[in-house]
Amino acid sequence: MSDPRAMNGDFLSLLPKHPFPHLEQLGKQMSPLEATTVFAFHCKEGVLFAGDHRATSGNVIFSDCTEKILELDELSIMAIAGSPAIALEMARTLRTAFEFYRRSQLQAMSLSAKVRALSRLLRDNLPMTLQGVGAVAPLFAGQDSKGDKAAPTIYFYDPLGANFEAANYAASGSGSGHIKSVLSYLEKWGHPRPADMDLPVSVNLANRLLITAAEFDAATGGVKPETKSFATIKLLSKSGVRSLDANEQMKYWKAN
Amino acid sequence: MHEEPYRWLEAIQNRREYIVDQIKEGTPVFALSRPEGVLLLGVGSGQSKIFEIFDRHGLAALGNPVDIEKLRQTAIEAAHTEGFNRSSDDVTLRRLVSFALSPALKNSFEQIFSPPNMIEAILAEVGPTRSKDAIVRLRFDGNHEYSASGIAVASPVWGTESIAAEWLREVINKDDKLGSVISLCLTAWKALNEDNINDGLKVPKKKVLNIPGKTVEAVLLDRKAKGNVHYRSLDTSDL
Repeated sequence: MSDPRAMNGDFLSLLPKHPFPHLEQLGKQMSPLEATTVFAFHCKEGVLFAGDHRATSGNVIFSDCTEKILELDELSIMAIAGSPAIALEMARTLRTAFEFYRRSQLQAMSLSAKVRALSRLLRDNLPMTLQGVGAVAPLFAGQDSKGDKAAPTIYFYDPLGANFEAANYAASGSGSGHIKSVLSYLEKWGHPRPADMDLPVSVNLANRLLITAAEFDAATGGVKPETKSFATIKLLSKSGVRSLDANEQMKYWKAN
Repeated sequence: MHEEPYRWLEAIQNRREYIVDQIKEGTPVFALSRPEGVLLLGVGSGQSKIFEIFDRHGLAALGNPVDIEKLRQTAIEAAHTEGFNRSSDDVTLRRLVSFALSPALKNSFEQIFSPPNMIEAILAEVGPTRSKDAIVRLRFDGNHEYSASGIAVASPVWGTESIAAEWLREVINKDDKLGSVISLCLTAWKALNEDNINDGLKVPKKKVLNIPGKTVEAVLLDRKAKGNVHYRSLDTSDL
């Protein structure tokens, strides 16, 4: 028998009878695609970014060829962890915004403005973050200029858009806990500390960190030196952003 | 006035003469397709004449700085909107000129009660090979023509720019280095600027890489550039 208090066609009285599935539950059923395990640390040459190649959807390996370290312009890099659909769109938006600003204003956007631009995109993504299907927790590094005055700085974000400057290193994604533990240890007791490592040693450290994280985290993977599969590695230095391809990484790995 | 065709035609003719008169103090700009990429060259006194538009696109212009700025902003906005909505590869010079810049200039020119755009320009796009380069000479009334020879000159005096372009076609060899090409362009620039087109167009015995009291602005849309951005400023002292 219908509720005598309800008016005919009362939407609110109908809701309990035909409940709409909660969006959070929908998100859990969908097993959203996630990209995992990226990190950055200061080395002697600048800031080194590394990431594995794996994207997962629940317990399914969706791809082992995902690029998560993205060059936004010649002075900034973004590493993505979380929902690739949203994160890649954020990177595309930022890339266009930075280049548009540089060309139209005839000067590059300042580093602090770039940091805020990513914050704003994350904040605008709040509804998706709260629904549990589109959270992104990126890392960002940039510098205001090239040359001897270049001072590359690492930032990490929470999924709601707060940004924090990282003193020595930052990591994000499901395997980040393991990587942060090792980097923290090396910062305190390493000889040399990561910040004092030259490029070949830093690159080998990055690959070893990902291999270690993959041993404990199923969502981290795609780094196998024996098959010439290495991490995605980019370096932000006083000459700008540079990618280190598999051949260069193999050279350092063999020389190790 | 629109009801009287003769008066409208007279007004348009007056407008054309007024613009030509206003920009006659401008100095020439050049664009040349080379094996290394597309070379853009201008000479100024502090005011920039060469601009980056998009990943593979550049602009060289002379005229009123405010009007150059308007054209530049229009081109940049159109290119970035297209690049963002579709992809960088979908931003082509043909579409940029035909659908964004040329109609806007033509409309502006024919609105006889509004201030005219006083500008002469060259737009260039670097391709993966020389045959895919595109260079367009864009005029203040929206007219535009593609350069088939890979050389375009924009000068405030229309008749002389084709003579200078023809001379450059004759004297530049396909293997010439950028320094030699810039030297020949600057020789043509001096001849055009000093209104000495008949005697001034001679291959210099010594390379000309600067103009006293002026700033030589040379840019290469670098064919072999790593990454998306092909625009690279050249330091003529290094050439």
